[in-house]
Amino acid sequence: MNLILTLIENMFFAAIPAVGFALVFNVPVKALKYCALLGAIGYACRTILIYYQFPLEWSTLLTSMLIGTIGIIWSRRFLAHPKVFTVAAVIPMFPGVFAYKAMIALVEISHKGYSPELFGTMITYFLRASFIVGALSIGLSLPALWLYRRKPSV
Amino acid sequence: MEFDKVHQRQREITRLCIQCGLLLLQHGAESMLIEQLSTRLGKALGVDEVESSISANAIVLSTIYKGHCLTSTRKNVDRGINMHVVTEVQRIVILTEHHLLGVDEVEKRLNHIKPLRYPRWLMVLMVGLSCASFCKLAGGDWDAVLVTLLASGVAMYSRQVITSFQINPLINFFATAFVATTVAGWLVNWMDIAKASIAMASSVLLLVPGFPLINSVADMFKGHINTGIARWVMASLLTLSTCIGVVVAITVWGFRSWL
Repeated sequence: MNLILTLIENMFFAAIPAVGFALVFNVPVKALKYCALLGAIGYACRTILIYYQFPLEWSTLLTSMLIGTIGIIWSRRFLAHPKVFTVAAVIPMFPGVFAYKAMIALVEISHKGYSPELFGTMITYFLRASFIVGALSIGLSLPALWLYRRKPSV
Repeated sequence: MEFDKVHQRQREITRLCIQCGLLLLQHGAESMLIEQLSTRLGKALGVDEVESSISANAIVLSTIYKGHCLTSTRKNVDRGINMHVVTEVQRIVILTEHHLLGVDEVEKRLNHIKPLRYPRWLMVLMVGLSCASFCKLAGGDWDAVLVTLLASGVAMYSRQVITSFQINPLINFFATAFVATTVAGWLVNWMDIAKASIAMASSVLLLVPGFPLINSVADMFKGHINTGIARWVMASLLTLSTCIGVVVAITVWGFRSWL
């Protein structure tokens, strides 16, 4: 019961940034609702995977593969490149906080001098952020490479 | 005489192909899509082969027709990510492939693409709400959400104002991060809330270069290592200048660091 409530809340709060960033990328008006829906689906999928003890990076990879596949299916109906929907949909999963923490640790090392804690923080957050970005973008590209090797999907 | 006519037509088709590629490159499409769409447009209009070479700030493209080559180069100026333009170009290519458009119509349509811009107040509102949602998802309480909403709304507005003056994006990201951290830091100090670090981290998340990062890894993954590296470096520089903005704001106003 608790899981379902968390899921609904997360889906709602993931749909808003999906639309917000779709506006920043100037996605056509008709595609906005698909972005919101895909963002909610993706975040729900990742929440479920994390609930069942999957590591964060692997759940992100599986989720973005799901988003990529749905994006390809929708792209044919809409006659648009899948990235129109999918990039806005994965934005809520972006490791923004990790990336900034890594960068700020870097700047603090140069400011205050080396300390093992700061260096550890920097490396840990940097690796997490890079692996999650890699998982997101490779996951989005994989379905297109597996399913449509011979000719483009749209 | 006959040769001149054929040559003239090939020249027109080459111009259209490179215009198509340049529009896609300027508005943030990935390299594989640029290559595919310009090739498809050329073949649909009747040339035998289209070969292109894409780099971060230029595009070179050749068409081959009956053994005769024509090459053209265009400089690339980044016009910001605009998925509306990418979609429109793709529609034109698909219509041409179905023999619904000729050379003249393709030219007219490519010249008449007007990039879609959403109204400023809507972007400010939605980006503010987005960052507030990030804050909620990261486990912030409602006070922190309110701080994030205000700070990122103000930051988004200043980002748009700076963009309208056509200032270098790196400086723009620095200034926007400074504004976001300043507003968030003062509000956090004033309201004295518990989860200050989440609020301050979330209010700069509007500056995460999501599209360039995803495009860069996708480019490298699909074999366009050069453009991928260029985009990766640009995205990292944007992140770095955001961080410097945050750190400068923290130092200038004497806020507690939120590591």
